[in-house]
Amino acid sequence: MEPQSKAEDMLTENGNGHSTSAWIQEHSPRAVWRYVFREDRLFLILSVFIGVFSGLAVVCFRFAIDWSRLYLLGTGAVLTPVRMVLAPTLAGLVIAVLVIHFFPTARGSGVNQTKAALYIFNGNIPIRTAIGKFITSALAIGSGHSLGPEDPSLQIGACIASAVGRKMRLQRDRMRLIAPVGAAAGLAAAFNAPISAVLFVIEEVIGRWTAGILGSVVLSAVSSVVVMRWFLGSESLFRIPAVELKRPTELIAYAALGVVGGLASVVFASGIAWLRPVCKALPRWSQYFQPAIAGLLIGIIAVLGAPQVMGAGYEYIDQAMHGQFTWEFLAILAGLKIVATLLSFVSGTPGGMFAPTLFIGAMLGAAVGGAEHVLFPHLTGSPGTYALVGMGVLFAGFLRAPMTSVFMVLEVSGNYSIIVPVILANTVAYLISRGLQPTAIFDLLTRQDGLELPSMEEQREEDILRVEDAMQPVDGPVLDAEKTLDQALQQLDRSEMERVLVLTPSGWGSVSRQELLTMAREGKGATTLGALLPVAPVPFLHPDHPLETALRYVDRWPLVPVVSRADFRHLEGVVTQRYVLERYREFGEG
Amino acid sequence: MASEAYTKYRFYLEQRPTMLAVFSVLAVVLFLGVTVLSRAHQAQRQAIGERWFNRGTADLNGKRFDAAVTDMRAALLYSPDEYSYQLNLAEALIGEGHTGQASAYLINLWEREPENGIVNLELARITAQRGETDNAIRYYHNAVYAAWPSGQEGMRRNARFELIELLQRNDLKAQAQSELIALAENAGPDPAQQERIGDLFLRAEDYEHALGAYNAALKSNRHHAAALAGAGYAAFELGRYQLAQHYLQSAISANPNDPDSAERLKTAQLVLHLDPFRRQIPAAERNRIVIEAFAAAARRLRSCAGPDVKASAPASVPSLSDEWARLEPQITAVGLRRNPDLADTAMDLVFRIERETSTVCGTPTGADLALLLISRMHEGS
Repeated sequence: MEPQSKAEDMLTENGNGHSTSAWIQEHSPRAVWRYVFREDRLFLILSVFIGVFSGLAVVCFRFAIDWSRLYLLGTGAVLTPVRMVLAPTLAGLVIAVLVIHFFPTARGSGVNQTKAALYIFNGNIPIRTAIGKFITSALAIGSGHSLGPEDPSLQIGACIASAVGRKMRLQRDRMRLIAPVGAAAGLAAAFNAPISAVLFVIEEVIGRWTAGILGSVVLSAVSSVVVMRWFLGSESLFRIPAVELKRPTELIAYAALGVVGGLASVVFASGIAWLRPVCKALPRWSQYFQPAIAGLLIGIIAVLGAPQVMGAGYEYIDQAMHGQFTWEFLAILAGLKIVATLLSFVSGTPGGMFAPTLFIGAMLGAAVGGAEHVLFPHLTGSPGTYALVGMGVLFAGFLRAPMTSVFMVLEVSGNYSIIVPVILANTVAYLISRGLQPTAIFDLLTRQDGLELPSMEEQREEDILRVEDAMQPVDGPVLDAEKTLDQALQQLDRSEMERVLVLTPSGWGSVSRQELLTMAREGKGATTLGALLPVAPVPFLHPDHPLETALRYVDRWPLVPVVSRADFRHLEGVVTQRYVLERYREFGEG
Repeated sequence: MASEAYTKYRFYLEQRPTMLAVFSVLAVVLFLGVTVLSRAHQAQRQAIGERWFNRGTADLNGKRFDAAVTDMRAALLYSPDEYSYQLNLAEALIGEGHTGQASAYLINLWEREPENGIVNLELARITAQRGETDNAIRYYHNAVYAAWPSGQEGMRRNARFELIELLQRNDLKAQAQSELIALAENAGPDPAQQERIGDLFLRAEDYEHALGAYNAALKSNRHHAAALAGAGYAAFELGRYQLAQHYLQSAISANPNDPDSAERLKTAQLVLHLDPFRRQIPAAERNRIVIEAFAAAARRLRSCAGPDVKASAPASVPSLSDEWARLEPQITAVGLRRNPDLADTAMDLVFRIERETSTVCGTPTGADLALLLISRMHEGS
């Protein structure tokens, strides 16, 4: 693109260069000040602040969840039945009152709300949302509702970022992007995994890779993780067992896990898709009791023998990874966790889906691994390996974030050798889930809420029109700037084209038949075109450019050359506004 | 002029730079605030963890392993990396019989502190239980040479004891013997310990060292029944029947309910009684013993050549019988007095009969066993 930008610069400066007064103007204190605090640089500095603030908020959020758990469920490893039933039920009542009367925007997981801030509210999220999310989620998770702290952390980060952006009076386009920057920071701190957080925000919230935002997202994620580790240490959420893949044939076992995980994801997502609208359609007064009823049912599940389903459940993921449950019990736990999470989530209790997804994945993975070991004792993968892969499988199948799912397992395990089973199992699960449940869970929730946010999955799979789709072959002469005006006119006589391209040593230009004839009448026939013409530089395109790039040029330049990337002198075709619009019309008609 | 400049830069002074400065100050203040909060949180968790740990330790000491496991798990919720919590949980799990879970914790601890004696010892026990002998030996060695707290030095010796027992169980005699000698050299005067060493030497068939260990045990308590019995056994096996008789008699008087020692004493006494070659014995007495031994050998030969055994008996048994029959008329008090060399011939035949019949009909008892032992005693002479 270098010749192109050069051409544009030449146009703006009109070949005259800088004047002295312009230089002085550019180096005035105000200009220097403006240069130092240029919007893009300021955005990077703000990203660090957002990361620090989000990290601090997430640390406090973790403390709040912990205190809530200590006071509501007790300090022991074995919970008393009374607390198991009463804590989530009573907390559910309080949460319902808080959500209905004080923090209505605190409902749900937080991912879609952040997307809505980006696409609908120009990056604005009221700080009240963060406060509400903080209090209600801490209460819900601490009291044993089957939800996790990651998505609320993501939303809290986004709220903080939005507040920072508002205070700094950022431009609208920057303001829109600031929420995802905070979201990445919040998620990274909650998950202690900056790479996964960055990927998730890019994959699920922003939906595209752009250099402008990537730097900020990375900076904020890293800053928040540094802050979080400062206070809470750098230990992973669970102890990672030794992972190894001894025989490639064992990949079949992991593929089987992918199948089971894919089906479980569909069941989980379908449950939410069916039950959430049912709960929302119930009379308004029932909303006061829905979280409490969900809490009561979860408490009953816990009392009946599965207290592991309460809360985020990271300690049980750890135990599953170290073979402390039988495979039958692990399978039961996975099923009960789906039920418990369904109840908590559809009742409108604020809290995240990440931790339950990882829990279900880990239990399912370890269960499948255990069952496979019973059937095929020669398999060498430990339950921990299967649990780790299982987490990625559910992440890919249920949350439909395939890239994040792979990197999350790598980042959490810190072991590269697990990558092949993870990619295989995740892909299988993703394809099954995609096939059986065409709408991803976040898109489904958005649509249920009556919003039309862009679907990142659909965007990823969208056909992209490229310049080569609209490009037409050159059916007229291409003039050489070394040739004389007379030679050029002779060439032009054989064509009916009104405007032709001129190849100059530094790029491409174009000239109209009329301009050439005028110069010929002035008696300049023996002079070369290069010396004669105020040849206007024309930007060129490459065949693989997105067609929307061509749109930037075709209204200003009637004929835009499409050249080879290997040699800009090699013309592959041309695009005009007409060709581009025709191509878009055909595409729109399907 | 100043107001003009202020107006010129107002936007920047009032907005972005100022806000950045405010953010910086806010970040520092919040950081300090969260630090205070974090310390309070940490202190609370630590206190709760310690409370559960103390409760768990009490349960562990009281062998209430189930409760100890629950308590230690609770303690670990609050301090998941606490070494002593993990170790106690592992020990409680071992007590409960969940060695698989315990070993996961122990391996984790071993990776953190490979030189920890208790962790190595527990891992050695678990691997030994699983039949992973090589690993068990490695962990036991680690435990023997590990760092032990000053009050738990005895554990090092225990580790060596267990290592020796493992080696003996797996028939690794040479290794067991060298460990045993090292153990004996470093052992203190504790009679129970010396007695245990003596037992291990006995098991290793190193009767000389066993006798030494039992003697060491008897130094502090001369009436230690088990040590006396062990010493008697060792002396018996060494062929020092006089000494064996002395120890075994003392052992029985210290513990009359010791049938093994009683049986061994009886045999020792028979050996001493039936040995015609013992010193300072009158000729008449010697001849009487020879006649008695000759008669006993005949009985043994007959019982061994019975219909059940006959089929499997080697050809030598009938020939011994013939030999005995040929010699029998001469083995009388008169015959022996006339020809003193006959005693040697008769006893040689007796010994051969006892040896041969013991291979065919199994280890004898009573007088036959005594004669067999006497034959072994004089084998080299």
